[in-house]
Amino acid sequence: MYHAMSLYIVKRIVIAIPVIVGIVTLVFVLSRVAPGDPVTHLYSPTISTTAVEQLREEFGLERPLLQQFIDWISHVARGDFGISYSHHRPVHAVILDVLPNTILLGLAAIAIEFVLGCLIGAWAAHHHNSFIDRMVSGVGLVMYTMPTFWVGLLLLYLLSYTLGAFPSSQILSIHAEHLSSLAYTVDLLKHLALPALTIAIPGSAGIARFMRSSLINVDNEDYILAARSMGINQRTISLFYKLPNALTPVITILGLELGTLMAGALVTETIFAWPGMGRLTVMAIFSRDYPLIMGCTIVAGTVVILGNLIADILYATIDPRVRLV
Amino acid sequence: MEHGRLQSQLLDKHRGFIVLSNARILLALTFLLILLSGCTPKKGPDGSDLRKYVIIAVEGDVDSFNPLFAQEVTAGEINDLFFPGLMDARFDTSKGELAYYPMLATSWEFNNNNRDIVFHLRTDAQWADGNPVTARDVQLSYELYGDTAVASIRQSSVERLRKREDGDLDVHGAVEAFNDSTVIFHFEDSYPGQLFDVGLPILPVHIFEKLQRRGLREDPINRNPMSCGSFILKSWKPMQEIVLESNQRSKVPYPAKLSQLIFRVIPDYRSRLAQLRSGEVDIVEDIRLEDAVELETSSPHIQLHTLGERFYDAINWNNIDQEKYRTSGGKTIRPHPLFGSSTVRRALTLAINRREIVQSYLKSYGREAIGPISPLFRWAYNDTLQPLPYDPVLAKHLLAEEGWRDSNGDGVLDKNGRKFEFALKITAGNQLRSTIASIVQHQLSALKISMKIEQVERSVFWPDLMEKKYDAFIAGFYVPLQMQLDELWGSDLNRSPFNLVSFRNKRVDEILRGAKRVAKETDHASAWKEFQEILYREQPCTFLYWMNSLVGINKRVRGTTIGVLGLTHHAWEWYVDETDIKGKRK
Repeated sequence: MYHAMSLYIVKRIVIAIPVIVGIVTLVFVLSRVAPGDPVTHLYSPTISTTAVEQLREEFGLERPLLQQFIDWISHVARGDFGISYSHHRPVHAVILDVLPNTILLGLAAIAIEFVLGCLIGAWAAHHHNSFIDRMVSGVGLVMYTMPTFWVGLLLLYLLSYTLGAFPSSQILSIHAEHLSSLAYTVDLLKHLALPALTIAIPGSAGIARFMRSSLINVDNEDYILAARSMGINQRTISLFYKLPNALTPVITILGLELGTLMAGALVTETIFAWPGMGRLTVMAIFSRDYPLIMGCTIVAGTVVILGNLIADILYATIDPRVRLV
Repeated sequence: MEHGRLQSQLLDKHRGFIVLSNARILLALTFLLILLSGCTPKKGPDGSDLRKYVIIAVEGDVDSFNPLFAQEVTAGEINDLFFPGLMDARFDTSKGELAYYPMLATSWEFNNNNRDIVFHLRTDAQWADGNPVTARDVQLSYELYGDTAVASIRQSSVERLRKREDGDLDVHGAVEAFNDSTVIFHFEDSYPGQLFDVGLPILPVHIFEKLQRRGLREDPINRNPMSCGSFILKSWKPMQEIVLESNQRSKVPYPAKLSQLIFRVIPDYRSRLAQLRSGEVDIVEDIRLEDAVELETSSPHIQLHTLGERFYDAINWNNIDQEKYRTSGGKTIRPHPLFGSSTVRRALTLAINRREIVQSYLKSYGREAIGPISPLFRWAYNDTLQPLPYDPVLAKHLLAEEGWRDSNGDGVLDKNGRKFEFALKITAGNQLRSTIASIVQHQLSALKISMKIEQVERSVFWPDLMEKKYDAFIAGFYVPLQMQLDELWGSDLNRSPFNLVSFRNKRVDEILRGAKRVAKETDHASAWKEFQEILYREQPCTFLYWMNSLVGINKRVRGTTIGVLGLTHHAWEWYVDETDIKGKRK
């Protein structure tokens, strides 16, 4: 089993390499042929055109596209992602500054989404075809269709500006470095709460719907009937028979979502001034910071593929009938 | 058997459930702790009062703490606090001109028919590491600004220094470190902006002389600046915050009164505004006009300041046939088929109700513009010119005079088979310009002119403008504090790349040339007034308004001198009201 899984993981990673190369090639070409110019922000009567041209030359923008691509890919192969035009720093350093924040936010959101979605879904399934079920389905649908920015603004208004329970932006308070470890963690959690909830609320509504229908389907399986006939109480059946089986599709969805979230949640990051990958990527696109765009693309591509891989592995772990090939 | 194992598992899980109950209590307590805990410490590890700080909410992060390369506004403001220049510039609003006071230099004098300026430096100034600030720092700084290997964006400031006999620039020779406390700038000629050009931030020679000039843009020193100003860099968390701390060694001019000045990166405007209201931050720039009135009435703890009328917007009509110009490589210059005539351009200005735009959208924070010289420059501004009135009847008449009629009754004016239709380009995401474009579209349609509105992303918009791809567009400029308009209005379109409407006028060229020859800027006042008369007559574009940039400041912040020189100009004078320190940040 473990040998098969190891082989499977290696195989998937090997397959992922040409996929990532394909993605970065496409993004490289598209970003270069798209209209716009990385030195646009220097267009000013107070800045000499000579300086602008020098910068263009320094960035290597005058060279043929193919040569630029070959240079770039050969540097990447040596672990050098280049220098960001707008940050004047190595791309990997710029990304490493924000990637942990995105991972933190993504994992927190996924955790909330999972717990909230499963609990609500189980509650609805437990009250199948009752008023509660219909209410949960209705509210869930509304939540699921709510745009992220709206959820964010609503939470900000209610929990931050009105109640003052949570800070409205950033990852830490001013002077947080002077706090004790516990207070520092509490401060971080307070800042994390609203952006994580903003991502998790619509997602948990989706998870709840999956969980509900999955539990209802499982409820009709023969092994549940057998368990009941053996006199096992309902709680045991729910926890140990129905739940593991119902979780399988939910895990798949979460695995896919994990990859997307790790690439950054732009809207949430912007509303809450969360310094993450989403904001960084969009800033790079708007400033035509080609090396940074490419760096972000590689990271995003890799985490999406990894997310899929994790989903597959979890799927196989939960459901032994699934064979990894 | 199977049943027995299940029961055993169930017991385990029940134990788990009990643990879960405890976990619930723990979770609830944690949540309570989260809600109740105050997270802002009052004292730093050194015992300093951390509440004596001011927080400025900014939209974007700093790109570099090196004035050679910094392009972002916030970076420029911070670098000015770290690296003071030889002189302290202040804007004399009564005269409308810059005045200079000692900073790194205690005094200066002009020699050699004003072609040399001798600066006497203060001898007690030192960098944060204790090294003295000397004339060598000034000399090397200017060498770096002028070095093509460094590719500084401020190269143009050294272009008029004395050149060698072969015509090449020799900054090392032109900026002479006579002794430790005397530096002499040798210029090719005297000109009005000499003091402005020698006002660049000064960098530490003992740091920069050791660094490779090529690749300096990426050097780690750009993130660890060595300051000699009132503040030093305490910490920088990318995309989060920049914390400046009072530099206790500073003699230029003195250590900041605030213990810290913090720039918090909050990209969303609504969040910045909400935090200003709630007192989480003290200062927010670029308050939108639609929020200004509400802010003034509903938030008594906030005061609005204006940065002065340094920005104008205009509807730019391309004066020449840009297609022909581009396809001929700049050789063929013909009038634009729609906007080539000054009578037509005048008619368009008359057809647009600019007063209504100002009154409705800019209220008391803007005024109608008549040209590209700001009313701030009292000595140069031509106040005898009144904005053209909104007169659609006269506009219609002028268009008819020029031969524009709806000859085929399709509802659009035409002339020699050419319909009067065009696209007005605006930058995407600018709500005010978008609204104005709709108003213009509506008002021109009343004259049977067909106009489409096209929004273009900013990074596409500007390169397109430079390549003269658009017939008409809304764009504006921040005007520099030196009257330098040749790049914007000179007839030589290669030398004046920012003459975006391709306006060409011989008398204007003479005025622009003359401005460089006078000893003092103000000596050219009457010529600048004539310049505005010409533009008023020719209407190369429809000047819309001068707009006041607004800054919202919590009243607990005292000692601010916010004006045309920027938000943090003289931030070392800021302090926090002692009574407010004890209370809420509000």
